[in-house]
Amino acid sequence: MIMSFATWLENLDFFAFIRGSSNEYPAILALHLFGMALFGGMILLTDLRMLGWILPEQSIASIVNATRWPKRIGFLWVAACGFILAASKAEGYLLNAFFQLKLTLFALVFVHAMVFRGSVYKHPEELDRTPQPPGRAKLAAAISLVLWLGIMCAGRGIGYLNAPPGLHYAAWLRTILKFIQG
Amino acid sequence: MQIANLLNSSELTFPILECFHIAGFIIAIGTTAIVDFRILGYGLLGQTPSQLMKSTRFWTLGGLLVAIFTGLGLYSSDPDTYYLNLSFLFKIACLILAIILNYTIHGKVAKADSTSGGAKVVACISLALWGAVIFGGIFIAFVQGGL
Repeated sequence: MIMSFATWLENLDFFAFIRGSSNEYPAILALHLFGMALFGGMILLTDLRMLGWILPEQSIASIVNATRWPKRIGFLWVAACGFILAASKAEGYLLNAFFQLKLTLFALVFVHAMVFRGSVYKHPEELDRTPQPPGRAKLAAAISLVLWLGIMCAGRGIGYLNAPPGLHYAAWLRTILKFIQG
Repeated sequence: MQIANLLNSSELTFPILECFHIAGFIIAIGTTAIVDFRILGYGLLGQTPSQLMKSTRFWTLGGLLVAIFTGLGLYSSDPDTYYLNLSFLFKIACLILAIILNYTIHGKVAKADSTSGGAKVVACISLALWGAVIFGGIFIAFVQGGL
């Protein structure tokens, strides 16, 4: 099911064009990385502030609130580029162990957001009541840094498994599916 | 006699160095971008550009050093393919300009807390140059031929 979706997706005109392009594909890859550089700094700044390592004279609340929207816009930018890159090679990506690891880490980012939403991110002004950020804020920041660094490394790893044996598996699966569908 | 480069002795060294390279430039460019966005009137408006630059300076320099030294390591794995590559040369030219700008005009503009039109132009040039460095870096693997 999911593999036939991947096959359909990567064979759409736009994604097939991106896959075969000599300039557009690397340009989107570069935009993906440029977006990371522009907005990754904001994640880093928030996390470092929550750890108490940077901008001590600035409240945690003001940093969390001021970077909330830029981070959302940045995430959309990076994710949109990432989606185009992944969709243009959807079958290969689905079977790529590093891509699977990256998706798993994204799921953990979601879990992280849910777990710490109530106690940390929703009411950042409460974190400013003590001179040192509370333990839960430091924990949230440390996990956030580890997860985003992990996502970055897993993302780089994807390119190293360019022609997974799984591609043959996908072809094999397609044949079976065609057979079943008659 | 062959001189063995440590980088070519293990399959893992190059990708691991690359991860540090990416983390390094994300930190360096990310912290510079925070100052640039502030000059342009976006992001952390609760702080002045000079305060932001002062707080992020250490991280910018640290990230830059990590990116430069890992970059030298990556380059040393196969110098011939790099220094003849047009995209690599473009990247290095932009990198040198970006570093010079960052520690001269850009630093002065941020220190003066200026948000005039001229300061905004400097912030835009800074962002554009760092963007060009990333584009040049990515395209190294995609351009055919060279000098």
